[in-house]
Amino acid sequence: MCCSHNIEERSVPATQSTEKFDMDLIKGMKFFDPHVHMTSRTTDDYQAMADAGIVALIEPSFWLGQPRTGPGSFKDYYSSLVGWERFRSSQFGIKHYCTIGLNSREANNEPLAEQVMEMLPLFIYKDGVVGIGEIGFDDQTAAEEKYYRLQLDLAKESGLPVQIHTPHRDKKRGTQRSMDIAIEHGLEPHMVIVDHNNEETVKEVLDRGFWAAFTIYPFTKMGNQRMVEITKQYGPERIMVNSAADWGISDPMAVPKTAALMKLNGISLKDIELVTYRNAITAFAQSGQINEADFVTAIDQSARFEGNSILRGGQQPRIDKSSIIIS
Amino acid sequence: MAVYNASELTLILSDIIKENITVEAWDWLQTQTNGINNSGISTTFGLLPRKTGKAQIQVSSGQQGLINASKLDLTYNNWTADRLSRVWLLTQYREEDQDKYFRTIENLFSAAEMNEQVALYSTLPFLSYPQLWVKRCAEGIRSNIGIVLEAIMYHNPYPAENLPEPAWNQMVLKAFFTDKQVNKIYGLDDRANSELARILIDYARERHAAGRDINSMLWYLVEKFVTEQQLNNMKQGHF
Repeated sequence: MCCSHNIEERSVPATQSTEKFDMDLIKGMKFFDPHVHMTSRTTDDYQAMADAGIVALIEPSFWLGQPRTGPGSFKDYYSSLVGWERFRSSQFGIKHYCTIGLNSREANNEPLAEQVMEMLPLFIYKDGVVGIGEIGFDDQTAAEEKYYRLQLDLAKESGLPVQIHTPHRDKKRGTQRSMDIAIEHGLEPHMVIVDHNNEETVKEVLDRGFWAAFTIYPFTKMGNQRMVEITKQYGPERIMVNSAADWGISDPMAVPKTAALMKLNGISLKDIELVTYRNAITAFAQSGQINEADFVTAIDQSARFEGNSILRGGQQPRIDKSSIIIS
Repeated sequence: MAVYNASELTLILSDIIKENITVEAWDWLQTQTNGINNSGISTTFGLLPRKTGKAQIQVSSGQQGLINASKLDLTYNNWTADRLSRVWLLTQYREEDQDKYFRTIENLFSAAEMNEQVALYSTLPFLSYPQLWVKRCAEGIRSNIGIVLEAIMYHNPYPAENLPEPAWNQMVLKAFFTDKQVNKIYGLDDRANSELARILIDYARERHAAGRDINSMLWYLVEKFVTEQQLNNMKQGHF
């Protein structure tokens, strides 16, 4: 879940950088976006992500921009994350994982939250579910805390990593509280990915042994120039970058763009690989559900054998979007 | 679907599974299936691949011989260990109360991830009360997920044995529409019918008008229902 930004209130910087994203900078590199809400994105996004080298991603459960009114829509949402969306992604050669959880905003509807909690065990043991998430605080209400705690217990019981959404407002305190409560519930810091960090929160998160994820999201979260500085200052250990692209104005290319910017700024390829690929895999593979051999690399989409497409996993041949002809 | 065939097949399947997963996984599967009930089944079904793995299974020639002897044109060679084990797990689930049985299986369908859907539709010919699954099967045919459609279409005896004509025709048409290997559909010859031929001719005409290829298998299903002259005319684009 990302943005609580209000489009009218957003202040656009007076001077916008117009530097062009040069794909050659990241040629041959591969990326893992550990937080992106593909349900809200188009097939054009999938194609662009695949072209930029994104080989796998994690889609956390979140809210849909407006509150759901019944348990059926939660059930259908979770089942689409492991069903239809996983298939859509596979058509572009991108391995799709997800985390399952009750998001903090909707935890505030307690009668519904109770029904969702009953439903969660049905989904968390499924193939490709790599964690409980994204859970945590939004308004930091008592109801949010109650369901955060219950889901931490569920994570402990199932041995799954936890993906924590940290609040937009009162962020520093909310982040500290999230970590304190996780420890209180007996979770090891290495099983917890604290998301949406910034310059104010990163030090404590790393010092306490948690994973620190950074969301590169225009206007409301991190910019990637700031991300470059953070990586220089703290090094690549236990740091990961994601896009959290969703239904708001966001950028599913945030991870490859950040990698390119890091390269331009002299960060080593080894460190770039850690923060844009390897660390996320290490953290979420603790679920036992990630196998790198499942990532499809080097797809020749035109390859056909005796008239039969040999595209793997139901991939579709790409269409030439620059052509005026649609056949 | 002859239930007697299914139970015979189940024995062969358990033999294949045993040889394709670890001893620990086999023991786990045995424990899980002993007295499996409505509440435990969804968790077992969900986390099963963690135990069995997902390797492609090997069927020995002896086992294939037994399958062939059951007079069913079936193959399990391209299946994965988790898919076959899930099918077998569900064959071990018994429930006298038909409604309860229905609800339990339907519940698995309604929350299924992609590979679970494949396994569930593969299980249709083995489920008790075959007529209960006609709607479910028709629903699966509406799926747009390729591997789910293939689980229903390829070497699966359930549709041919149970679907009423409109649903059967819809499945065959969808197979053409989604570029599936139509020759792998079980019972294609037995269930050929004039209404299907009419729909397919219509579809061929539309493809022709749009300047798209026509799958040659389409004519195979049409030829019994038209004259040779008509067939040749259509093949040359005169509808």
